[in-house]
This record gives sequence, C-alpha cells and structure tokens, in this order.
Amino acid sequence: MSIAEIEAQTFTLDTPTGGLWHEAWRRLRHDRGAIVGFIFVCCFVGAAILAPVIAPYGPLDQNLALLANGCCPGPSSAHWFGVDQLGRDELSRILWGARYSLVIGVVAVTVGLSVGVTLGSIAGYFGGVIDNVIMRLMDIMLAIPGLLLAIGVVAVLGPGLFQIMIAVGVTSIPIFARLIRGSILSQREADFVLAARSVGVPRRTILGSHILPNSISPVIVQGTLALATAIIDVAGLAFLGLGDPDPSRPEWGAMLTNTNEYLQVAPFLAIIPGIAIVISALGFNLIGDALREALDPKLRGRA
Amino acid sequence: MLRFIVRRLFLLVPIILGLSILIFLWIRALPGGPTQALLGERATPASIAQIRHQLGLDKPIYEQYWAYVRTTAEGNLGVSISSRRPITTEIRERFPATVELAFSAMIFALFLGLPLGFFAAKRHGSTFDHLSLVGSLIGISIPIFFLAIILKYIFSVRLGWLPSIGRQDVLIDAQHPTGFYVLDGIVTFNWNAAWDATKHLILPAIALGSIPLAIIARITRASALDVQNEDYVRTARAKGMSPGIVDRRHVMRNALLPVVTIIGLQVGLLLGGAVLTETVFAIPGMGSWLAQAIFNRDYPVIQGGVLFLAIVFVFVNLIVDISYGFLNPRIRVS
Amino acid sequence: MGRKLKFGLVAALASLALVAAAGAALQGGAATTTLVFGASADPVILDGPLVSDGESLRPISLIFQGLVSLKPGSTVIVPQLATSWSTSKNGLNWTFNLRSGVKFSDGTAFNAKAVCFNFNRWYNFPGPLQTDAVTYYWNTVFQGFAHPAAGSPGPDKALYKGCKAVGSNTAVIQLTRKSGGFLGALGLSVFGIASPQALVQYKADAGTVTPDGVFQPTGTFGTQHPIGTGPYMLKSWKIGDKLVLVKNPTYWGNASSPNWSRSGKIDTLIFRAIPDNAARLQALQTGEITGYDNVAPQDIPTVRGSSSLRVVNRPPFNVAYVGINQAMPPMNNPLVRQAVAYGLDRAGVVNTFYGGRGQTTDQFLPPQLFGFAKKGVPQYPYNPDKAKALLQQAGLTLPVKIDFWFPTNVSRPYMPDPSRNFQAFQASLEKSGFKVTPHSAPWRPDYLGTVQSGGAQLFLLGWTGDWGDPSNFLNVHFGSETKQFGFNNPALFTLLQQADAETDLDKRTALYQAASIAVMKFLPVVPYVHSTPALAFKKNVKGFIASPVGLDPFWLATLGK
Repeated sequence: MSIAEIEAQTFTLDTPTGGLWHEAWRRLRHDRGAIVGFIFVCCFVGAAILAPVIAPYGPLDQNLALLANGCCPGPSSAHWFGVDQLGRDELSRILWGARYSLVIGVVAVTVGLSVGVTLGSIAGYFGGVIDNVIMRLMDIMLAIPGLLLAIGVVAVLGPGLFQIMIAVGVTSIPIFARLIRGSILSQREADFVLAARSVGVPRRTILGSHILPNSISPVIVQGTLALATAIIDVAGLAFLGLGDPDPSRPEWGAMLTNTNEYLQVAPFLAIIPGIAIVISALGFNLIGDALREALDPKLRGRA
Repeated sequence: MLRFIVRRLFLLVPIILGLSILIFLWIRALPGGPTQALLGERATPASIAQIRHQLGLDKPIYEQYWAYVRTTAEGNLGVSISSRRPITTEIRERFPATVELAFSAMIFALFLGLPLGFFAAKRHGSTFDHLSLVGSLIGISIPIFFLAIILKYIFSVRLGWLPSIGRQDVLIDAQHPTGFYVLDGIVTFNWNAAWDATKHLILPAIALGSIPLAIIARITRASALDVQNEDYVRTARAKGMSPGIVDRRHVMRNALLPVVTIIGLQVGLLLGGAVLTETVFAIPGMGSWLAQAIFNRDYPVIQGGVLFLAIVFVFVNLIVDISYGFLNPRIRVS
Repeated sequence: MGRKLKFGLVAALASLALVAAAGAALQGGAATTTLVFGASADPVILDGPLVSDGESLRPISLIFQGLVSLKPGSTVIVPQLATSWSTSKNGLNWTFNLRSGVKFSDGTAFNAKAVCFNFNRWYNFPGPLQTDAVTYYWNTVFQGFAHPAAGSPGPDKALYKGCKAVGSNTAVIQLTRKSGGFLGALGLSVFGIASPQALVQYKADAGTVTPDGVFQPTGTFGTQHPIGTGPYMLKSWKIGDKLVLVKNPTYWGNASSPNWSRSGKIDTLIFRAIPDNAARLQALQTGEITGYDNVAPQDIPTVRGSSSLRVVNRPPFNVAYVGINQAMPPMNNPLVRQAVAYGLDRAGVVNTFYGGRGQTTDQFLPPQLFGFAKKGVPQYPYNPDKAKALLQQAGLTLPVKIDFWFPTNVSRPYMPDPSRNFQAFQASLEKSGFKVTPHSAPWRPDYLGTVQSGGAQLFLLGWTGDWGDPSNFLNVHFGSETKQFGFNNPALFTLLQQADAETDLDKRTALYQAASIAVMKFLPVVPYVHSTPALAFKKNVKGFIASPVGLDPFWLATLGK
C-alpha cells in the first residue's frame, strides 16, 4: 500500500500542458518495460475474460481417483499445471482465479479512488477548516500500518472476498486524497486559474473543467500502481485466514495459503499461484511506472 | 528550530487522540459487540452481565470513552483472552523482537538499495540501469509471505545454510538483558549467541526488506538523477573536481534527502510486513502475536497492539520529520 | 582511504575474529541429553485442572501424576500414585491405597492428606473458574462444584461428594452415584496431585478477574513453581521462547519399578512452540527440533524417505465425524440424516486423504475399545441416488440447503486438513441433492464455541479418547441433551447411563455394543474414520512409545548417537 503513497509523496507532478499526452504516448510506445507490462496485463485480463472458454476443466471438478498415489501428480499432458490436493486441474483454477484477482483489484481501486478523490477534492476546493479536518482524518488513517488497517476493517465486516476488497480499498483512500489535494493546491495559484476567476468563472466550473482534468494523470498512475498492490495485499489477507469462507474458490491468494502444507510433496501447487500473482502485479507496476515516466515533465527532454 | 519541533509535536496530539477514538469505536463496531469480543468463549450470562457493568456499557458513550482513555493512559491495556497475561507485558516482551527484525530489514534495504540506486543513476540508460529498474519492480510485486516461504525452503530446508524458525537456537543458554538478541550476545560477550541470533535474522530480514529495498533503490536513483543534472553539480564538474569527490560531496548528500523522508513511511510497511514475516519464520514478535490474535479473535490484543504500533509509527514519523528539518533548512523556515 | 584508517580497520577485524573464535571454543558446554520437541503452541498454564488443551497437558503429564495411569502405548489402567484400590459394596466409596515413600519435587511428602487437599481444591473452585472453558475435565467427569456460581451445577448434580484421608496412606473418594468410568478418568493428568505446600505458597488460586472477565492468575504456581511427583520438573519457561523441563532427582520411579524403569536417558526436555505444521517439519529437517507430533499424512513419505528421520505411530484411538445439530430443521428428520449419511463419500475421503493411515469406520467407537460392535451395525455406503430418494421421501424439494461448518488454522490427529475433507464432502453432498453453504472459523475459540453452543447445522469434528472406556466416547457425546447435537432421546440416554453404571465387564461390553448400534441407527453424527496419527523424530531417538490418548512417556525414550 505504501509504495503508491510513497511515490505520491515524493513526486508531485507539475501542471501538464497540451502536448503532454502526445509525447507520453510516443514515449510509451518505445518503452520496453511498458510493452512487457502491457503483454503481462493482457495475458492476465485475457485469462480472466476467456477462462470459461479456454479452461480445459471446471475449476471445481474434483477427481479423487487421480490422487490414488498420494498428493499430487505434477504437470502432465492431461493436466499442464498438474492437479491439486482435491484432484482439480491446476491450470483451470489459475485461469478462473484470474477473474477473482481482476475483480478484486478493480473494486478495491475503485473504492479507494472514488472516495479518496472526492475527499481530496473537497479538501482542496474548500480549504480552511474542512481541509484541516479531512486531512487530519487522512493522517489518522495513515498512522495505522496498512495491513493492520485492512485487518481492522475486515474484523468489522466479517471475512469474505467482497469485504477484503473493501478493506484493501479503504487503505488506499488517504493516498488518493492526498494526491488530488496536492494537485489542486498546486494549481490553485496558477495563472490560468487566476485569469478564469478574474473573468468570473465560478469556482465549481474551474474545478470541474480545468483543475480536475489536469490532475488525471497522477491519478491514473496511482490507480495502476494501487491495482498491483491490491492484488498482493488481498493474498496477504487470505494468508492470515481472512479470505473467502468457501475454500474451493480458485482465488490465487487462498490457493497459495491452502497449499503451504503440501510444499514438500507438491511445491508447484504453491509456486504456480505465487508466480501468477507476481506476474499480474508486475504487469500493472510496469505500466504504471512507464506511465509515470512518460507523463513526468521533469524527465522530458532527457530521453 | 525549536518552534519547528514544537509545532510538529502539537500536530501529534490530534492524531493520537483521533487514533484512540477510532480504535475505541472499532471495538464497538465488531460483530457481537464488545462483550462478545472481549469475552470470547467465556461468555456465560453471568460474565456478560459483569463485563457490561465493569465496562460501563450502560453509561453514555463519552463516559465510556473517557474511562477507556483513562485506563489506557495509566498503562493498562487489558488482558489477552488466549494467554491470560496483561497486554503490556506481552508488548514489552515481543516489541524488541519486531524492532530487531525491522531494523535489520531496514539496514539490509539501505546497504543494498543506496548503492544500487546511485550506480543506476550514474550509469543512466545502461543495461545495469534498466535491470535495476525491473528488479525493483519485481521486488514490489512479490508478496512478502511468498518470498519468505521460498527463501526458507531453499536456504534452510534444502541447503541447510540458515535456521528456519525463531530467534535463537534453544540449546544455547544465553542471557537477554536488553531483549535484542544480537545486542544481548555482544553485551554479554557471548559471541556464539550473537552470531546465532544474527543467523536467525538473515532470511526474515531479506524477506521483510525486499520491498523497502526496491523503493529505496528507485527513490535514490530518481533523486540522484535529479541532482546530477543540477547546475551546481555541472559547475563543480566543469571546475575540474574529481568525479569521486563530486559524487560524495554533492550528489550523494543532496540525493539522500528524499530517502530520509521515505524511511519514516517505510516503518509502516515494515510493521505491516512483520505480521506476515514473523508468522512464516515463527518469530515471537508483535507481528505474529497480532496474527495469532486475529486467528483467536483475541480482540483486546488487537486493540492494544494496534494502538501501540500506531503510536510508535507516529513518533517515528515525527523523528523523521524533525531530522529532515535539520537536513533541509528550507523546510524549517517555511 | 588513508593508510592509518586501513590499518586500523584490518586490526579491528582481526581482533574481532580472534575473539569470536575464542568465544566459540568456550561454548563447548557440558554434555546433557536434550530432546527438543516442537509443540504447536505454548501451554496456557501448568496447572492441570485449569486446562484442557493438548499442548498444556503435554508438560503437565510429565510434571504431575494421578492416582492411576495408563500402561505406555495402551489404555490399560495401571497403578501410579495408588498401588491398589477397591470399591465399597454400594460402589459409592473408592478406597485408594497410596504408594509410600513418595515425595513432591519440593521435598514435601505425598500422602492421603495431599490427595484430599487437591480433590477438595478442585471441588471448591470459585465462580470464574467454573466454566467449561477453564475446568473442562472437572465439569465433564465430576459435574459439579461446592459453591456454584450462577449457571454452574452444584453439589446436587455433582458426582463427587468428598474425600477422606485415613492415615497417611489411604484416601477414600466418595461419590454420589455409581460410575464405571470414574477410575479411567483418574488417569488423566488434569487430575494429577500437586504439592499442597506449593499450591498455598505460590498462591495457585490467587487471581483477579479482569474487566474483560478473564481469570488472571497472580500466583506463580502455574508459571514458575508447578510442583508434582513426576519424572520431570520445570526449570524455566519463557512464553514464546521455550519451556525447559529437567529430570526430577527425587522421583520415586528412579528406584526400580517394572513400569517406570528409568532406562531413559533424556534429562532435559525443551518444548518450543511452532504454530505452523509445515514449519515444524522443516524445523525437524534442519535439526532445530528433535521431534514433533501430528505429522501430516502427505509428509509421512518425506519423513520415511529421509535417512536421518523416523516415524513413530500413535495407536489409533480417535474418531472423525460429521456432526449434525438436530435442533436445526430439517436435521430433526431421520430420513434427512440418513440422506446425509448416504450422501457423504466417506470411503473416498479416507482412502485418498489419509495416506493409508485411516480406517473407514461404520460406528463411533474405535475398534480397539471394548463395546465396539462387530456386527449388526447399519451401513451407509456412498449412494447419491439413494440420498436424493430419501430427501424426496421426506417431502423436501431438491436441492436442500444446508450450512456446513469446518475449522481453519488447525490440524487435528483425526483430521489433518479440515478444509480438504470439507471440500470433498461438499462435492459429494452436492451430488446427492444438497446445496452446501460453507462456514468456517478459527479452531479456538470461535469454531469450538459455535459448534458447542449449537450454532452449526452440520460440522466437522472428531474426538481423541481420554481414557480407555466407551463412556469417554459415547456418554460424553450422547449421554445427555447437548446444545451441540440438539436432540432429546430419552431411550438412548437411559441406555448409555445404564451402560456406564454397569461394573461387570461382559455386561458392560454388551450394553455398549447395543448402544453403539443404537447411535448409528439414530445418526446424531456420521463417523467416517479412525486414523493413526504419527510423530516424527530424529533417527537417534529410540524407545519412544506413543500413547493412544496423547500423553507420551518421554522418560522411557533414549537418545542414541
């Protein structure tokens, strides 16, 4: 969680100007990291969307007969990724698991982004006491280490996949709030804002039509990075036993946890979901990172 | 300078107050309410009535809050349901373990991350630079507990180079005056114990420090890149100063400033990551204690432990803020 | 770097290396035979009557001894602190002749007064200590207290009436009614006799009740000075670190005695808590521990395949079952319960998940126990169609929704991977006309609490026997109305009470066989396996005889080279 917030703290982007998007796109196209990241993300999203079609077996179909010689048969021609401790095809479970990870990431980031951006905009827009109160609230949320905050939220909401998404989303709220507020504050004194105000454009319109659109780029970058962290943090919460009460669901984090006891006889059962998590998170991190480098005016002219 | 420190201290008060309110409300938001949370399986009708009276649950909420603040300020954080021991005692015994682990992880991250970042910046655009970027991204994409499990399996079980659990070999009879096992070994001239404790820290520190390592490397690199192209650096080079001296006197010193800010934020990461790392390596610190408390639904422990860690975190950030103020005069004046 | 600086650095490093080498040489230390055991958790407290978890009982069984004990590796009752015993004609007074010349490890004498002191201490426990959560075994066996708090049973319900010391070597325990299982229960280490002087001096009963309702012992008896008569005594205990037991030099069994010959050479026993099962195996492989309990079935080949490790089997004495709460409809309908029995692929689970160490069962009692019915037990082989037919016969629309609970974060000897068993059962039930909603909770306190208070409709649970009598299996579970199973079956209750009161062994066996069959006809539970748990040790540990009830005689094992 803190990687995104750390980046937010150190790098406040200057106000982008018109030619930014063009340049950014040009740089992205040539950035190898971005391309690799894009491929990873496409695989991930593709697996999530096409799972029902391309998975060779159902993710819940048990076949105890396959375990006649103990746990567990490794990769074979019938089961490319092997079979898990209940005789289910590992490849199919990984493919279907991508759906959970994707939904988890998207929901968590949406929660954090929408609430955070709203709070941050209000704080930046109104300033004064409201700004103070909201920012102190954010400070308090940030005072609790991220994982512990998520645990606290799950304790109240009860265990479950949806509850974990909310919990992880909640932990990213202060990051987005700070980001937007910082962006608004730095733009408030900009010339074009003063000019608009002097002409009589209402504050609301300035905020909506000028300031916010200019703040989109850091939010997009943050969102991508937050997506990566969400995937990882949900796995961590599942490891602590706060995940889905239904253990047969092929969620990667839960798969990692439940197969820890089989590490010595069937290490692939733990390694494969772990690698899946790493690749998905890495994909989003690569893209977010490349986006930030592409959009950061400071790096412009230093290709 | 003093005014700066005092101002920062004042900001602490509302945060700690807010924390206590948040945690106070949290216990009451749990399913089953505070009685269920605090009694667990011992909830007979008699004990429920008793605890309702003792917690003053029939009194108005601000009175309850005031009682909570009062008992906490007195240093009474309650008693753990599972171990039946005072929470303050458990914290006193377990906190050094976590501090030792977090400290080692931070040292690992700094010792590797700072040089990596500098060299990547120096050789900007080279393969080393690209590799370090990708490497750091991979570092933050690996779940800590996954890395811990793999490290343990390879280096402990398969290769047998390092121990897999705990803080010290049970067969070593060592004194622990400070609670920090490595330090204890040194202080009591028990080199065997000190080395043994260090061996037990290596794998957990690497697992826990992997993310701070990645972050520090990146921030250092970015910051060094910034500074490298500053006018004063170019001037120094143009004057004919040797590159080594330029690096040390100008680039490194100034590039370190953002890293200092980062350290404070890392502590939060480390405290959260400690929960997972200590569980995998069976280290009896605050992280595994909280993890067990979650499993056991030991809410008094979670309440007390989280409050304690949050306050620690806030103070660490305060210290970082102040030291940043020392290093960067511009912040002090603003 | 300046020359001076370089030189200084080299000198510093060299001296550091020298000192390190010297220090290492000095750490040679005296040779003791030490066994390091990997437990799954720290004990709660070293005071027998106040605990019921296996990890507390392990050291307690080595420090304290009861009047009787179990022959190593079996459930046969043998004398321990009592050399012989007899019952009065009416079966209410049990006279125990005590062993003479026994001392507690603090030097005070063991005698009849000490025995009665202990029994009366337990009978007189104050309110906060009377809940099942604290004094489970006293509640289960003796069922009442002298000064009951609200909600606790009093002298009218209690089995225990009193204790009389006749001279110094005879203690008479008075009961309120006949009981066949009473003697076996005395073999539990929870009823081990502690030194009265230590109990008083170290304030074993002193404590405060915190605002949270938790009894917090303030005395040091259970944490620093647990004084008993056993072969080991406590040297030190640091929670989260290690618990160290050392040989008790004044142990009476050191002198020759057929059951307790100290051919064992383990003079130091260290217990360290490693919560994760996989981590315990890894610690054994790296040599950080010398042995641990509850080896997962899939790890047995790994241990066997290692040239430095060995497996020690624990005689099977447990049962795993799918419990049914009949207070939650439609489970009150016997047709539905039969449908559940036919709908569980028990043979599939046992044959695949237990690594050949599980025995599919058709009844609740393990075959090692008398009272096991060899014929006449109704069978329920896996038959999804039959299950569906039964549900329709009961007038229900398929699929029938049920809530099925399983515990997380635990590995039991009869159920090494609860979630795995659950998922297989869930799949077979869903093929048999049910729709399963999964529920899970951490083992202690939530899962046990929910199940025992009747909150689970279907649940996975099991039982390891505490003493070698069928009453410990059948009466404990089905002898009276419980919230856990939610049924009232007076015929079954009467049969079981009759069986327990019967002291003639043949008649007792016949009655319990009938009871076992009756249970399987009534189906309050669907048992599925009796498993053979295992411990793993380094190969140089020899002579370790595992106890079926889980209280292992460490003093009989030897540590070779």
